[in-house]
Amino acid sequence: MISLQHVTKIYKGQITALDDVTVDIDKGEFVFVVGPSGSGKSTMMRLLLKEEQVSGGAIFVAGKNLEKLTPWRVPYLRRNIGTVFQDFKLLQDKTVFENVSFALDVIGKQKSVIDQRVPEILDYVGLGDKLNNYPDELSGGEQQRVSIARACVNRPLVLLADEPTGNLDPQTSVDIMRLLDKVNRIGTTVVMATHDQAIVDAMRRRVIELEDGHVVRDQARGVYS
Amino acid sequence: MVRLDYYFRETVTGLRRNGLVVFAAILTAFIALLLLGMALLIRREVDLIVANTTGRVEVVVYLADDIGPDQQDRLNGILSELSVVSQVDYESKEEAYERAKELFGPDSPIIANVGPETFPASFRVKLSEPEDYKVVVATVENEPGVDEVNAQQEFLDKLFALTSLFRNGVLVLAFAMLLASAILIANTVRMGLFARRREIGIMKLVGATNWRIRVPFLIEGVIEGVLGAALAIAILLAAMVIFIEPLHDSVTFVPWIETSDVLVIAPIMVLGGIAVSFIASLLAMRRFLDV
Repeated sequence: MISLQHVTKIYKGQITALDDVTVDIDKGEFVFVVGPSGSGKSTMMRLLLKEEQVSGGAIFVAGKNLEKLTPWRVPYLRRNIGTVFQDFKLLQDKTVFENVSFALDVIGKQKSVIDQRVPEILDYVGLGDKLNNYPDELSGGEQQRVSIARACVNRPLVLLADEPTGNLDPQTSVDIMRLLDKVNRIGTTVVMATHDQAIVDAMRRRVIELEDGHVVRDQARGVYS
Repeated sequence: MVRLDYYFRETVTGLRRNGLVVFAAILTAFIALLLLGMALLIRREVDLIVANTTGRVEVVVYLADDIGPDQQDRLNGILSELSVVSQVDYESKEEAYERAKELFGPDSPIIANVGPETFPASFRVKLSEPEDYKVVVATVENEPGVDEVNAQQEFLDKLFALTSLFRNGVLVLAFAMLLASAILIANTVRMGLFARRREIGIMKLVGATNWRIRVPFLIEGVIEGVLGAALAIAILLAAMVIFIEPLHDSVTFVPWIETSDVLVIAPIMVLGGIAVSFIASLLAMRRFLDV
């Protein structure tokens, strides 16, 4: 599903964020990417979304070589990748329903599809009764659920989560992890960058550890360190 | 199927959200297009005055007193064959004398002391293209039997220089204003993009194409341009009715443009507004939306 082959990323010709990284992630896997700040986790995420270009090596997502992807094809790549962030990135002037439907609206989905899928996915993430609330009326955990619903409503092949529990308390984080696990179990490949040791240790999934842009550990059913 | 309601909703949201900035953009577009419209109307008026003035202008070819009938016929032929000449009239010495009497009055001492023999006979040449009077002068100036050619040259040269300066001057001014309004419209589009940068960021993340993001902003810019044009046309029409129409009766020695002339230039103003705002919006978005 995702394949990084000898990927190097150098910013402005001098700061090396990733150095000769080779990683293969299969369809349906759940992978933690761990490592200290500045180890290259976020850069990896950005490269997978083609927000940045690789400096060397090649990246394949869902069988497509990202380097050969023309700019106008990039949006179609992103429709296959859901994204979840630490800060939720919800629109405060839109309701829960609108925040999720927005993702389908802007890629030109029919209203009938939207009216069917949005309540369905919100029900799935446990917010079936909050469709008309605004983000500031929700708890942090609920807001993150909305953002997961938005990421999954178009049924992506891959879900990228960048520190999704970074702003949440431990109990809420566990709930969010249960939800991501649920999303993973229906076949979505999940890649999650995190600092959260307790969660990584509890989940016992594949762990890829980065340090100074190198892969220093790639372990099935691993722990944080 | 393309869902047009999406573009419509997004555009309306954008217009509502930046009310004040949108208002400023419409206002500059309005002022620029008003100036463009005024420039175009002034050109029409100047054209009318020039046509009216130069239509009466003629080149006078004075004939030598000793000219023979053959030479006179030959000159008449040369003049008539010129493409810029519309009409050639012969004025004899007697006719010139009669005209002078009319001009000065029959009791004038000037007329009393001279007879028809004092006045030269002449060809009076009317032109289809007044700007080309020099062709006539150059052609017959050195022909035998021609005494002098009077084309009112200084007057014509000054008139043409002045009118072309005026016509081009107002146009340059109008284009400068269009440029200013383009910059302001670009600015409002930019502010709109900035105000909605979070939304645009999310749109990009979930895979909205660039055009899907751009089109609402483009439409927003074009609407501003069109509204500015509409306002400018309305004001021009009102100004014609209030200020120019009364002049039709009170000032009759020059021809006046009609109120309906505004409708002739209206399409140019609307197209100008659309073009300027479209290009401005496009330029404003170029760098902002790169993937």
